[in-house]
Amino acid sequence: MSLWPADVQERAKELIGRYPDPKSAVMPLLYLAMRQDGYLTEAGMGEVAGWTGHTPAQVQSVATFYGMFKTEPLGQYLVSVCTSISCMLLGGDDVLEAVEEATGVPHGETDAERLFSVEHVECLGACGGAPAVQVNYELIEGSTPDQARALCRWLQDERPEVVNTDDMQERFGGRRSFDWAIAESENAVGPYPAFGPYGTTPGGEV
Amino acid sequence: MTDLVKITVDGREIEVPAGELVIKAAQDHGTYIPRFCWHPRMKEVGMCRMCLVEIETPRGTILTTSCTTPASAGMVVHTASETTKKAQAGILEFLLINHPLDCPVCDKGGECPLQDQTMAYGPGESRFVEEKRHFEKPIPISDLVFLDRERCILCARCTRFADEIAGDPLIEFKDRGNHTQVQTFPDLPFSSYFSGNTVQICPVGALTASAYRFKARPWDLRRVESSCSHCTVGCSIAVEASRNDVLRFNGVDNDATNQGWLSDKCRFGFEFIGSENRLRTPLIKVDGEFQETTWADALDLVAERLGSIIEEHGGEAVGGIGGARSTNEDAYAFGKFMRTVVGSNHLDAQLDDGLDARFLAGVSPRAKIGDLDHAAAILLWAPDLKEESGSLYLRVRHAVQEGGAKLVVIHPRRTGLDDRATHKLTYRPGQGFGLLADLAGGEGDYAAVLETLSHGPVVAIVGRTGLTEAPELAEAVAGFALGLPDATVLPFARRSNVFGALDMGVAPSLLPGRVAADDAEAMAQLEAVWGPIPTHEARDTLGILEGLAVGDLKALILLGADPVRDVPDATVARRGIEAAEFVVAIDLFLTDTNQLADVVLPAEAFGEKEGTVTNLEGRVQKVNRIVTGPGQSQADWAILDDISRRLSKPLAFASAEAICKEIADVAPAYAGMTWELLEWDEKEGAVVPYGEAVQPLIHHPAAADRKALEAMSRQPSSGAFALHLARTLYDDGVLMRNSLSLHALAPGAAVHLHPEDAGRLGVTEGALVEVKSVDASIRLPAVLDSSLLTGVVYVPFNQPWTPSLGAALSVVVAAGKEVSA
Ligand code: SF4
Ligand code: FES
Ligand code: FES
Repeated sequence: MSLWPADVQERAKELIGRYPDPKSAVMPLLYLAMRQDGYLTEAGMGEVAGWTGHTPAQVQSVATFYGMFKTEPLGQYLVSVCTSISCMLLGGDDVLEAVEEATGVPHGETDAERLFSVEHVECLGACGGAPAVQVNYELIEGSTPDQARALCRWLQDERPEVVNTDDMQERFGGRRSFDWAIAESENAVGPYPAFGPYGTTPGGEV
Repeated sequence: MTDLVKITVDGREIEVPAGELVIKAAQDHGTYIPRFCWHPRMKEVGMCRMCLVEIETPRGTILTTSCTTPASAGMVVHTASETTKKAQAGILEFLLINHPLDCPVCDKGGECPLQDQTMAYGPGESRFVEEKRHFEKPIPISDLVFLDRERCILCARCTRFADEIAGDPLIEFKDRGNHTQVQTFPDLPFSSYFSGNTVQICPVGALTASAYRFKARPWDLRRVESSCSHCTVGCSIAVEASRNDVLRFNGVDNDATNQGWLSDKCRFGFEFIGSENRLRTPLIKVDGEFQETTWADALDLVAERLGSIIEEHGGEAVGGIGGARSTNEDAYAFGKFMRTVVGSNHLDAQLDDGLDARFLAGVSPRAKIGDLDHAAAILLWAPDLKEESGSLYLRVRHAVQEGGAKLVVIHPRRTGLDDRATHKLTYRPGQGFGLLADLAGGEGDYAAVLETLSHGPVVAIVGRTGLTEAPELAEAVAGFALGLPDATVLPFARRSNVFGALDMGVAPSLLPGRVAADDAEAMAQLEAVWGPIPTHEARDTLGILEGLAVGDLKALILLGADPVRDVPDATVARRGIEAAEFVVAIDLFLTDTNQLADVVLPAEAFGEKEGTVTNLEGRVQKVNRIVTGPGQSQADWAILDDISRRLSKPLAFASAEAICKEIADVAPAYAGMTWELLEWDEKEGAVVPYGEAVQPLIHHPAAADRKALEAMSRQPSSGAFALHLARTLYDDGVLMRNSLSLHALAPGAAVHLHPEDAGRLGVTEGALVEVKSVDASIRLPAVLDSSLLTGVVYVPFNQPWTPSLGAALSVVVAAGKEVSA
């Protein structure tokens, strides 16, 4: 018996149908499970095991290998600051410090109210727009420590339901890697990446 | 045949199969390349890098892993060059960075590949001065296995074993990088029937067995190889003991049988040997209580009572049950004792839970276990192998996964191999004959199944799926299977040396050497050696018990048999034994059965005696002694010999080995069999060829004869359910009861029923259900089991603290009445 509501079950079936073997759908379904509970609970991993035919131990193995699957409760906003080489050279560490200070959350942790989780991460592939920051995996490039502080204050005060790269870049970003990039259409609704097909976007409920 | 190619290893040219991994090719030619993760029975992963060698390529010499590199013509390999040595030392320095080096308190110390290879190839010192990673010291990952993550070198042998070999991927790597660890899912332990193998193959002391932890150091252990006695496969094992205590069994890689693996029942089922409950002195019953006595007094009493019964009522007033747990030599002695000393043909090694003796001993062409590897199709219409024969289960899994065999499983409920089956057919107990007719007819849905089975070679594993099933069904199935292309049959019965005992003539219908008892010529030959053999009609176990109950038989001799536990219908067994005038039991323990005996004589167990055993393929293997039996226990044959002398008909056996020689003389199929032969023939044993001596298929109609088959189908009485009664790996048998690590693992009594039936009866999971058979009514917790068909209930046989239900097909099931508080 599934823990998931009918529409999510439909989504799971649809995702599984894209692969020759249900086991292959483990990662998309993990995102689906995160969308349900905000992070990967034991029950959520067990659910994914049931759908894919893996054992829960195997699902846990995948879930704990990849950094974007979180097995601890997270805040509503996951702020990730890149501290890899390009960003580090252009002040990523200062940005991280600014984020920690503005949110009051040291990296690797979540506040008691579960509003913010802060982490520092390896290269986000946005070196051209370093330093790079993400909120719920929506990218903001070229932020200064001040802009990062403003970003955090905005999140705190406005508590936006959804966040979007282009919108935040506009408000808090600086130089971008690619100015000509096509507009980002997906909006993130929680501390997991926004994938339309996976149902982790607003309206992801199908 | 694979082509051979020439490669050069350390300047020496060798010829190896093309594509063979360099690490294996080199080893087969005497060059050992160190390794941790590579295991010859599992797929290579190239995980640990210990097996680095230099290989010359057109683009220069490269350093690469020999466990992932297939040999190709002209390859030049250096396993001991300066660069290789430096690489090996470097890898070891890395592997030891986080290793705690707590060898002095580690079970593996002294037989640890990490320790040994560090000595042989390591750098001698480490540059690592930082803090090592820490984990909670050993955590139980199952009831039987502990994991120390600090010692783990992440070779993935255990996780690959769990997934690839056992099919129970309940342990996996968790986290990443420096945090990587082997883990189970929370609250979901590694409760695999095969978990103990990981302890044996872990190249460090990260995985340890609760039964062996801190019991001994490897250098204090003595070791003999033997053949496991827990099922009829007879897996090769190493029995290890220290100070006269058996402390450990390990699997030995015998290509013909277990390929190194053991189920946990076999690996940890040694504890009974040293159990304090073992019988140490002869016991005689005085005023309803057992009293210890001397051998002389006990044997005198046995001889006197048996003698007077034989004198008064003739030898045929005595029955003999047992022998399936004995060696061939002991079983032979039992058969000869019964037929010539007692003068009775009433003897049976089976406990009414198997197939007809002639079928087991005679059906041919007989498959070998190894034939599974090359089978195009496997028909499995037998007990759930996962529950009854772990290594055969692994072999079938392997054949499907690696050999590409198509598997057809036919069973009344879910089995361990369903996930590997191309076709799974589920039926109601009693209805197997009809299903066989349908299958043979190949109409409709059955067409695809028949098509799968129409590509040879076909190996059919045939046995009774459960204890309520008519034994004739298996014969009919075998008859059908033998008509399939290039087919061979492996008849399945579980109890350790039952095939050996039958071969020794411990069956109403057989004489030693797979000869039918009604074969006059063979009988005459045997009488030339044995002297006169009685000619009266012989009874099987059920017949003996029933005969005792009505007074046709007066006395019973039990040889390592516990019919009250093991005969499917305990009431019949109890009634017979209680009615007997005199019962003598030769056994390891006091059992439910021999509690009712007049005399109980202590016998030697596995590991305490030497002899031969024969497995289900007819493979004869040696079992060896490593400890002496407790107290005054003696070998079965010696006890029988002593009784025979007192009855003035001495068997006059000189030794077990002498008995083996006698077997070779009188048992046609065993001609030429000697202990030396088995020692020389390395580990595979010698297979006794199956001939035409016994006509095995006599009871059943042909698969094409639908009418006759349907006439044999049985229905439960109206309103009743059909009972599926089947064994589980761990149960309440006497050996399990005295193996503490395992007894607690028995699943416990329950009644499984289909959710629809449960709904109809108003029963929910866990609720108490009343199950009534002809002579018992018991209350069991319900388990909802959608793998059953409706109208069928499954009850696991012989569980702790549960009375017997009997083995009638028909049971009445109702929601248990609430017990008011
Ligand atoms: S526990 Fe042993 S077998 Fe398993 S990965 Fe670690 S070292 Fe290898
Ligand atoms: S280093 Fe920060 S995005 Fe590449
Ligand atoms: S043995 Fe080759 S990499 Fe481990």
